[in-house]
Amino acid sequence: MRLLVIEDDQAIQGFLRRALVEAGYQVDTTSNAKAGELKALEGIHDAFIVDLGLPDMDGLDLIARCRAQGSQVPVLILSARRSVDERVRGLEQGGDDYLTKPFALAELLARLRNLLRRTSTPQKESVRLHVADLELDLLRHEARRGDQILQLTPQEFSLLEYLCRNAGRVVTRTMILDHVWRMRIDPATNVVDVHIYRLRSKVDSNAIPPLIHTIRGVGYVLKHA
Amino acid sequence: MPRILRATAAWRISIWTTLAFAAGTALAFYIVYLFVAQGIQDHSDSWLKGEAQVLAQVSANTPRDRIYNRIIGEVAELAARELPDERNKQGQKLNSVFFLEDDPGSGGSPLWIGPGSADTFLSAIHGIHLIPGIPKSLTVNGYPTAFRLVAQPENNRTIYLGLSTRGNLRLLHIMTRRLFLLWGGTVLLGFLISYASAYRTLLRVERITETVGRIGSKDLGERLPEPANSDEISRLAKTFNRMLDRIQSSVIELRTVTDAVAHDMKSPITSIRGTLESTLSSEPDEHWRDSIGEAIEGLDRLLYLLNTTLDVAEGQAGALSLDRTAVDLSAVVKQLVDLYQPAMAERHHELALDAESRVVVDADLSLLHRVISNLLENELAHLPAGCRIAIRLRSHEGSAELIIEDNGPGFPPEIISRAFERFVKGKDSQGHGLGLAFVDTVVQAHGGVVTISDRPEGGAVVTLSLPALQVV
Repeated sequence: MRLLVIEDDQAIQGFLRRALVEAGYQVDTTSNAKAGELKALEGIHDAFIVDLGLPDMDGLDLIARCRAQGSQVPVLILSARRSVDERVRGLEQGGDDYLTKPFALAELLARLRNLLRRTSTPQKESVRLHVADLELDLLRHEARRGDQILQLTPQEFSLLEYLCRNAGRVVTRTMILDHVWRMRIDPATNVVDVHIYRLRSKVDSNAIPPLIHTIRGVGYVLKHA
Repeated sequence: MPRILRATAAWRISIWTTLAFAAGTALAFYIVYLFVAQGIQDHSDSWLKGEAQVLAQVSANTPRDRIYNRIIGEVAELAARELPDERNKQGQKLNSVFFLEDDPGSGGSPLWIGPGSADTFLSAIHGIHLIPGIPKSLTVNGYPTAFRLVAQPENNRTIYLGLSTRGNLRLLHIMTRRLFLLWGGTVLLGFLISYASAYRTLLRVERITETVGRIGSKDLGERLPEPANSDEISRLAKTFNRMLDRIQSSVIELRTVTDAVAHDMKSPITSIRGTLESTLSSEPDEHWRDSIGEAIEGLDRLLYLLNTTLDVAEGQAGALSLDRTAVDLSAVVKQLVDLYQPAMAERHHELALDAESRVVVDADLSLLHRVISNLLENELAHLPAGCRIAIRLRSHEGSAELIIEDNGPGFPPEIISRAFERFVKGKDSQGHGLGLAFVDTVVQAHGGVVTISDRPEGGAVVTLSLPALQVV
């Protein structure tokens, strides 16, 4: 997978390159729209990461120009504005995605995976999820750990489902709120953590090796230790 | 007028003005009275003098025979008729004129035409010192009103002609009554005019007070109306407006600076945070991972502050873009209560929701989520453990009303009037003082109102009302 990052802030460009390379992508970077457009039209990238506030052109115009010249590559837009205007929302419906600065790396990676998955052939939707000895039956809304059925509320089940779908990958609190509760809010208190504690007390009873791990400063990950 | 009448400056000013005016007009009316009284007396005195001379001449020219008394008597009667007819209330003719011819030399009884007997009058006349031809007042026993009397010597006799002052007094009495009524009316009119003009003038001051009060607590952009004239009050309004201009420009400048700083900090924080996060995933040492995590958490708190500052700034600048849809507020509230319930339970709070179903508003869903979560965050952050929180949702007269009540310590008194301003928070608050400013901004952008207050029995109430949509 090869990505093109068009971002004028050198520091952000630098850490994006490092983090994306570490996540296993090949990365090209440019700092302005002119050079970005040329690279984009080479047709060798699987996704673009475009900053909206480029020095020589608005990021949206750049995307429009690429689209006009036949490029179908999905775009992840980085915006410095908190409230996102209609044009960006329109792009979201067109299959592209946006992130407002500052963002968590974990979320950027998750969205990037989503974008790339959308363009590749859709996988068959499984009705069962497995992580180690944890099994979720999505049709019957039943979760078991080993041979024991877990008594979960619908909310806890959705939360566990989200963690299982992202097994092995870190999810942030914002991502959990966005996907499980469908809210883009930014609580300053520990609302999400309390839900995780409750779920953990049901999933990870003392005897078994724990599956739900806290990554301090970032979020949570469900993985086999 | 909200305050009682007596406490107003208009009342005090008009009372003092009226007192001065009443004293002035009373003096003027008294002077008029004196002139008129003098005029009436002069008029009757000159009649008396004239008639006395006529009678003296008649007396001198008339031979002293049998019919002398009759002739003089008729002349005197005729003279009396020149006076306006004077009758008492019963219609009887009043004897207001008397004529007396005293001839001490002859030894006979004096010639007397008038009421009562000549003796009473004579003794009264002898009691005063008379200068011939000059009228003088005479009080007679048995007569309540005094007489004006003139003496006219004729050879060795003296002719006296008297006129009762009763008529004059009655005239003066009527005039006094009318003057008094006129004075009362004038004073009342004066009071009304002075009160009305003072009230009108001070009403302008009152309006300035109200407007400035409102501007001080809410919107710095509002200005006082500046009338075209340049009287003292217009100048007051203008001075206030210049002052508000200066305050507003410094406030705007300050906000622009904070907003610019907040905005410029986002890029470096993004890169610092990203770098820390990518380091975190590759760092094997748990000790280091902990420190990095702590650093990221610190940055996230800073980011929260920056983002909310910018949101409020955008909202106050009217730049908040709303993506409005028909939102079922009851579903939203229920969802948020579900989200916050475990955190509330952990703090031993009791969270009760009483919501009408299908309360629909035309709103930006994600902003609404943030508004209500902000209010619930406040409850979590400020209540001591073990409180009761009641959330009620009603549709009421075309608006959706969300009320969040608790039985905690309530709002600190020092912030209750300014709680919606940025960076205003209680001194024990751990927050940034932005939550309620954000809530207020968003709700106002939706055409709604947020109010906060303390319950009389303790605890805080936040009431949020938004225009409701009619559900078809």
